[in-house]
Amino acid sequence: MAQLEALLDPTGMEAGAADTTLSPRPVSLRGLTIGLLDNTKPNSTLLLETIAAQLQEHHGAGEARLYTKDYFGTPVKETLLEEIVRECDVVITAVGDCGSCSAATVADGIMFERAGVPTVSITSDSFLMSGQAMASVQGFPGFDFYAVKHPMASLTAEEVRERAMTAMPEVLRILGVEEGR
Amino acid sequence: MTEATKPQTVDEALRQFTDMMAADGYVLSWEPSDPQRIVVRIDATEGACADCLVPVNVMEAIMAKALEPTPYALDRVILPADAAH
Repeated sequence: MAQLEALLDPTGMEAGAADTTLSPRPVSLRGLTIGLLDNTKPNSTLLLETIAAQLQEHHGAGEARLYTKDYFGTPVKETLLEEIVRECDVVITAVGDCGSCSAATVADGIMFERAGVPTVSITSDSFLMSGQAMASVQGFPGFDFYAVKHPMASLTAEEVRERAMTAMPEVLRILGVEEGR
Repeated sequence: MTEATKPQTVDEALRQFTDMMAADGYVLSWEPSDPQRIVVRIDATEGACADCLVPVNVMEAIMAKALEPTPYALDRVILPADAAH
């Protein structure tokens, strides 16, 4: 007898996914656990870890936990999403530097926000429109995310750190954290 | 043909997406399917990133939004035959 196989929805759209309200912002990151969701694109890990180090050093953030998606082109799987929501207070997810991964990174951010976790999704500016289109498709057209300068994959470690430093004010703004808190 | 319906108006409306597609190795082109609608076609070049194409519903959302300033609405987007989406 033929087995029916569930199709993977590349948009991550599911019933009830129409909430456009951001999760409550923390104001201060002091002692909060930061989830870093790496989508496996080159330089994503370094970008995320550099941002986390800045949040720890200058804003008192607590532990940073690194998680890795199994495929960059689709939204985070439910089991990993639940694990991160259970273990982390805020999430940063990166890096969307192609059409599908930027759309998926934005979809991830929206899923975390709807699960109650403040999230910064990071794409590259060449794919800003892919991210915005995914936000519209998800029913959250005003979803706020950050686009680093493209490209990301070919950068040296020092250049990635520069990208991370440039991102910091926007990361803090999206998380609702006041400078120095 | 009015100023608004000149091909370069549509080209201009889609330019940033043409650039976006090019970054993943794809070529964007378009043609009218009737007086009010256009078909957008995405073709892969030899160096195209096979996994980087956005899902067709996201692509259609992008193109429909981009065409809003033009007299045209989107008819459909045609992706490469081997696209996964």
